Amino acid sequence: MGELFRRIKYLINRRRMDAELESDLEFHREMAARAGRGNFGGTLRLREQSREAWGWTWLDRLAQDLSYTARTLVRSPGFTLTAVLVLAIGIGVNVAAFSLFNMVALVPLPVRDPASLVRLERRSPEIISGEMPYPTAMFYRDHAKTLSGVLTMMGARLSLEDDLEPAKTNFVSANFFRELGAVAAYGRLLDAERDEAGNAPPVVVLGHEFWVRRFGADPAIVGKVIHLNRKPVTVVGVEPYGFPSLDGQGAEIWLPITQQPYFVEGGKVLTDVSNGSVRVWGRLAGGVTARQAEQELLGLTNELRQQYPKDIWKNEYIRSDPGGHLHVMEPEMYQVAEMVGVLTLLILAVTCANLGGLQLARGVAREREMGIRLSLGASAVRIFRQLLTESLVLALIGSAAGMLLAWAVLKIVLAQTASPVWLSAAPDWRVLAFVVAMALIATLLFGFAPALQIARQRQRKTLARQLLVGAQIAASCLLLIVASLLVRASQHALYTNPGFGYERVVSIDPGLGQHGYTPAAAGEYLGQLRSRLEALPGVTVVSLVKLAPLGHSITREDTEINGQKASIYPNWVDERYFQAMEIPILMGRSFLPNEKNTAIVSEALARRQWPGENPLGKKYGENTVVGVAGNAHVNAMNDGDSLESYYSAQPADLPDMVVLVKSVGAPDGLTPIAKSIVGSLNPKLFPEISLLKSRFRKDMEQVELVASAVTLIGLVAVALAAVGILGLVSFSVSQRWKEIAIRTALGATKAQVLRAVLRQFVWPVALGIAAGAGIAAAASRVLRIALYGVSNLDSASYAAAILGLMAIVGLAALLPARRALRLDLATTLHYD
Amino acid sequence: MPMSDTPKSGMPAGALPMLILRVLQSGSLHGYAIAQRIHLLSSEVLGVEEGLLYPTLQKMLLKGWVTAEWGISETNRKVRCYRLTPEGRRHLKAELSDYDRVTQAIQDILRTA
Repeated sequence: MGELFRRIKYLINRRRMDAELESDLEFHREMAARAGRGNFGGTLRLREQSREAWGWTWLDRLAQDLSYTARTLVRSPGFTLTAVLVLAIGIGVNVAAFSLFNMVALVPLPVRDPASLVRLERRSPEIISGEMPYPTAMFYRDHAKTLSGVLTMMGARLSLEDDLEPAKTNFVSANFFRELGAVAAYGRLLDAERDEAGNAPPVVVLGHEFWVRRFGADPAIVGKVIHLNRKPVTVVGVEPYGFPSLDGQGAEIWLPITQQPYFVEGGKVLTDVSNGSVRVWGRLAGGVTARQAEQELLGLTNELRQQYPKDIWKNEYIRSDPGGHLHVMEPEMYQVAEMVGVLTLLILAVTCANLGGLQLARGVAREREMGIRLSLGASAVRIFRQLLTESLVLALIGSAAGMLLAWAVLKIVLAQTASPVWLSAAPDWRVLAFVVAMALIATLLFGFAPALQIARQRQRKTLARQLLVGAQIAASCLLLIVASLLVRASQHALYTNPGFGYERVVSIDPGLGQHGYTPAAAGEYLGQLRSRLEALPGVTVVSLVKLAPLGHSITREDTEINGQKASIYPNWVDERYFQAMEIPILMGRSFLPNEKNTAIVSEALARRQWPGENPLGKKYGENTVVGVAGNAHVNAMNDGDSLESYYSAQPADLPDMVVLVKSVGAPDGLTPIAKSIVGSLNPKLFPEISLLKSRFRKDMEQVELVASAVTLIGLVAVALAAVGILGLVSFSVSQRWKEIAIRTALGATKAQVLRAVLRQFVWPVALGIAAGAGIAAAASRVLRIALYGVSNLDSASYAAAILGLMAIVGLAALLPARRALRLDLATTLHYD
Repeated sequence: MPMSDTPKSGMPAGALPMLILRVLQSGSLHGYAIAQRIHLLSSEVLGVEEGLLYPTLQKMLLKGWVTAEWGISETNRKVRCYRLTPEGRRHLKAELSDYDRVTQAIQDILRTA
């Protein structure tokens, strides 16, 4: 401790300490001279040796390197500015991507003790379900000792007064707000003791944003009675501003889940053990790990199986994931994050290859300077360190600029999207650490090799430069191909027939099951609804389907067919479905009314299951195939490899059925009519009515957004590569000034001169393109699920990307090369 | 390393701090005097090179074994004198007993082997 303290004292008072040392040595020399010894030697050297004992020499060297760096960078502002700009883009893209990931998965929610929140999910080796039955969640709440609290939530849409749009409502366990440590903006929030009692009066908490929009931010609303699904209910409070709900599930209206049957007549959520209905989170008790909780919940699940042998799956277990972030990261999301990470790192690679080339070029220009320093006694190590310091300073400035860029981009993104209020674009310590790491990685990538080459005086070797060009081209090529595949996919999805008709269909989801309809009652209701709808002018087909096309709920079976992975999307439909959705029956026939034990498969499924055979009459599971339908990825539009199977809907499915109405012309006018019909049939139901075409548009908007983002990234990469090549070619032209002048003087033609200048870049470019295309072809298999049926080897996309790249590279090479033709022969040959 | 005119034997590695501490035990001295004292006391066998003396002194200052203060030399010049600190005294004691033990052991071997 004392030594460190003294060391620091020496650092602070080093000027005085140095003077004292000098006086010591001076005195020693005087005395030695008196004693007749004249050859004392230089005191400067001695002083330096003595000072080394203080242990601050590295600081001196660093300061020297830094001040030298500052002078060098200021002296060539063009290079410095280019380098910082290029780095800012390359690093900024990475920082922006990481910041987004950080916001979603790393930043803790601003709630009480976010680290002990876990999301609980029902799983078995075959089935994943995000929702579990309410009674089982309560069983876990009452028996799990590793959980100090269980939170449940169920989304619903309820009609508020006579509003056209139903309000987005969350039924939650009454402990929800207290567990998250929220305090009401006005009035009170839900309270487990008051609102979950058997005779508790119905209460509602308003979402803050909804309160401002719908109720004009009137605090007097607290205590008033409003009507949800025509049921009176008292407003007891307003949610705090920017309330951070779990997994991003905000709501306009919050209700205690125990009061669900009051609002949704016949609702069985509270007692139904066979259907999953609520999302569940747990709060780990003090000192308990998520693994311990999972262990206990597994035991409890096995206990539940004794009570409900039918409803608990084989090998069912409860999986926990950290729940205290904006979103719970699913493995699929990690895949997406990894893919984005790879793409942005490619940008960084292009950036660094680019700068590395520039550094090498500068190394040639600085040959004189390096020569002088070497002959003055600087070691190669010292020069290497000096050059690396320069790169590090550049990288740090570039990273800071990149961070600013990312911050600006995120600010715009957050402002443009409906993001939670508490999310901030300002970098936190994780982002700062990431930025520093990026700066160090960039330094190593673009500074290390050139510094080594220059310190060893090998900067004239063309191989290093050619490698850098090749790497840049390969990475840009890969990025461009991915971008053009995605653009093609969005164009394809927009302008080609998706295999089904969506333009003239209205979907009506009456939600009979939620209201406790029996199959018989549901059948009667749907029969009435159908006859009323069919009587409308312009309506051609009315059909029933269990999983609505482009809808919220999707069922997927991940299996293997003949040893290969396959995703099959089953659906339960009536005999008019294929007509309503304009899906062609290619072989066999459609279903007959109330048919049993039959199946219809999609063309692609038939081909994979029974290659080269007639699928009609084959057994598919327990069912016999009666028909083959055209491929129609109604619930997985983006995945061109998805397969469909259809089963004839049975009476037991009726409470879950959705009605599809097909009209002759534009269906827009049908919506209000359908609304009035369902209103007159049963005013207690509040069906969700929507146009398929608007759901389709919404899907497409997302695709286009992704495609344009990736295109932007690809173009950035190409622009960077173009700048790099521009710089390298103009550098190699200026390096060979004399040679070119002599060739010209000796009568070389313009074409010959150009060929001489550009020859060294032909191979790297060609190999780079080949490598980029090869990697793209191999790696883009994972993209298939997002390509809307476009092949990941789509030749048009590859050709467009490669030709585009070649055009840009050609231009970037020719522009500076032309200067070689305009040389002033006399001046050049006289120079030197 | 600068050479001095008197022929000097090499200093055993690590011995210099101990010798400096020992010659400072009787009072504070300036750097030149330390070198002289060691040279004389060793019957002119051991010489102290400046290139070793001053870095060693700096290290000892850092360790807190000695402190420096301004004094006046015999030639009437302002000069820094080094003085033993209590910690330096403790360290010297430890070093000496350590040294005694080791030399005793070495001599035992030399005598009996």
